[in-house]
Amino acid sequence: MYIFICEDSLEGILTGVYDACASGLGHRNIHLVSCEPENYELFCEYITVSPSEEKAKKVINTILCRFGRAFYESIYQAAMSGEKQERKKMDKADAIYETVLLALSWGDGQKVLLSLGEPCVYRVFELCRATNREACHHLQFLRFSELGNGVLSATIHPKDHILPFLAEHFSDRLPQENFLIYDETHQLAAVHKALKGYLLVGAQDLDLVKIKQYSKDELEYRKLWLAFFDHIAIDSRRNPSLQMQMIPKRYWADTPELSRFL
Amino acid sequence: MKVQQSMTLMEKLSILADAAKYDVACTSSGAERSGDKKNMGNCVAAGLCHTFAADGRCVSLLKILFTNECIFNCAYCQNNCNSDVPRASFTPDEVCALTMEFYRRNYIEGLFLSSGILISPNYTMDLIYQTLYRLRNTHHFGGYIHVKAIPGADPLLIEKAGFLADRMSINLELPTAEGLKKLAPYKSRNTILKPMRQIQSGIAENRNEIAVYRKAPRFVPAGQSTQMIIGATPESDFQIMSVAEALYQNFNLKRVFYSAFINVNQNAQLPVLPGGPPLLREHRLYQADWLLRYYHFTVDELLSRERPDFNIYLDPKCDWAIRHLEFFPVEINRAAYHTLLRVPGIGYKSAERIVKARRTSRLDFADLKKIGVVLKRALYFITCSGRMMYNTKLDEDYICSSLMADRTQIPRDIREGGYRQMTLSDMDMAIAQS
Repeated sequence: MYIFICEDSLEGILTGVYDACASGLGHRNIHLVSCEPENYELFCEYITVSPSEEKAKKVINTILCRFGRAFYESIYQAAMSGEKQERKKMDKADAIYETVLLALSWGDGQKVLLSLGEPCVYRVFELCRATNREACHHLQFLRFSELGNGVLSATIHPKDHILPFLAEHFSDRLPQENFLIYDETHQLAAVHKALKGYLLVGAQDLDLVKIKQYSKDELEYRKLWLAFFDHIAIDSRRNPSLQMQMIPKRYWADTPELSRFL
Repeated sequence: MKVQQSMTLMEKLSILADAAKYDVACTSSGAERSGDKKNMGNCVAAGLCHTFAADGRCVSLLKILFTNECIFNCAYCQNNCNSDVPRASFTPDEVCALTMEFYRRNYIEGLFLSSGILISPNYTMDLIYQTLYRLRNTHHFGGYIHVKAIPGADPLLIEKAGFLADRMSINLELPTAEGLKKLAPYKSRNTILKPMRQIQSGIAENRNEIAVYRKAPRFVPAGQSTQMIIGATPESDFQIMSVAEALYQNFNLKRVFYSAFINVNQNAQLPVLPGGPPLLREHRLYQADWLLRYYHFTVDELLSRERPDFNIYLDPKCDWAIRHLEFFPVEINRAAYHTLLRVPGIGYKSAERIVKARRTSRLDFADLKKIGVVLKRALYFITCSGRMMYNTKLDEDYICSSLMADRTQIPRDIREGGYRQMTLSDMDMAIAQS
């Protein structure tokens, strides 16, 4: 058995798919993993894949040309998932590899995505669904704060790598604002300049003090928002468990109206 | 009634959010619009909920009244002219500032503007129109706006507001005309249904215009909705659902909302609800509402004059299935989409997935589970390749008792409230059914 250890990114995993196919070791003898295994197995050869943009692009082109946009998006979203690897479940990279193989052999991406009976397809479906959910939650629960210089800044702690999706959404929504979304888990930031596009940058050089220096208006509007939030609830319908079900506690810290209750 | 000039924005917001909270509709769905460089804002068709208040209801829009200084005396409303509550009015600019600043911080998806009747319906509707006009044209707001049409306002004003809003609604308030007459003497069925009809035909006309000229301004693109108060008057579920069905069919409404009655005024005309608002009843009505809109059920199938109320222990779909065992079991690999929709435990999404997935391979119970079918409800009613999941009987009493053992029949949040929400009328229903 040969095990390809990929970097946990779209590029890394797709390079792994390329290398695995090109290795000629036989698909049945190959597994991909997206992180360094805790325990090495006996009778397995471990091959470390170094991510290559060129190889990944080739795989993406093949997927796009032969199976279309929808199939690529599923693969992409699955790769963006940050779900912790559980022993019982199939590895992300392995699921993507097998799903791509299946599509190649059937020649039909749509059909593959619907065959949830296949363990690898089901795994991709699960990962996609989780990433989508996380992305949608952040569209809703992300909060901007105005800084002294008029820039809007937000800090998030997502499980999955959804920053590009958020940046896309907010660039469309707030084209005339300068804003910054800081993803603390992945140490990345999306920076948007008014009437221009956005950039994704590493967050190593981000001044963490500066993004907390709020303007005077900010505190005023925050107070107004908190007052609105408190008054909009109906006392005779109070229902903390429903509230918690709808907005899970891990999002509370990043919202001004609920972080008060933590 | 005196307008306090010195009131701060904070005080006004507190009073007018308080006054608006009994309105149910806080959805931002139905409109899809991407942003452009000039405006701030876009709309997502599915709608986004930005937070959830302590009662677990979503906060999607900045839900406020323009004013709670009302000349009407509707008995169920805390803002009626006889009740002793602090009064306040916004100015159009204050509403605009709040909306814009909240929107850019991603607190809200847009504005929900309702109002008490200040001076006259026309005067109030004009103020609302001015607010929307400024928001759209001075502040270039491109987000979602849900606005109430004021019953009795001039049709021209309603039309002008409709071209600025995404969704409009006029509250039906009470399911029957008698109830309305008794509790809201200044409102009548006529003044409520007339603007509703006007908006409906406006939307239809506008659709034709857009077909001819793509850039024609949109009139109420997200459709109209309404809401009814449940439990303030003695209507049965059958009457309520029949009204809702008629509204969907004759007025093309997008949504009908149901609001469990809360006695805010301690008014002697209204029932006292010692168990709190009838939340479980409201929940069942919403479930049935979904069956009407997404599952092709009709009210006559779910309820009848002899059985006018929903079973509180079972959801309406299970309840229907148990009484119509002649339709079951359904073969998953062959049944039509519409038949699948009627099986408890199969939602419209999973029905769609089943229809697509069975083209490639035969489906088994394990596949159904992955597709998202709730097997603990569905297993009594389906076969896969001619086999049932377990050795279950197709027998009314047996299935009924098995389904009742499933605690999720009553949603967790209502159940965990220690069932305090079960009201006297609910208990009557339970006794009548047992």
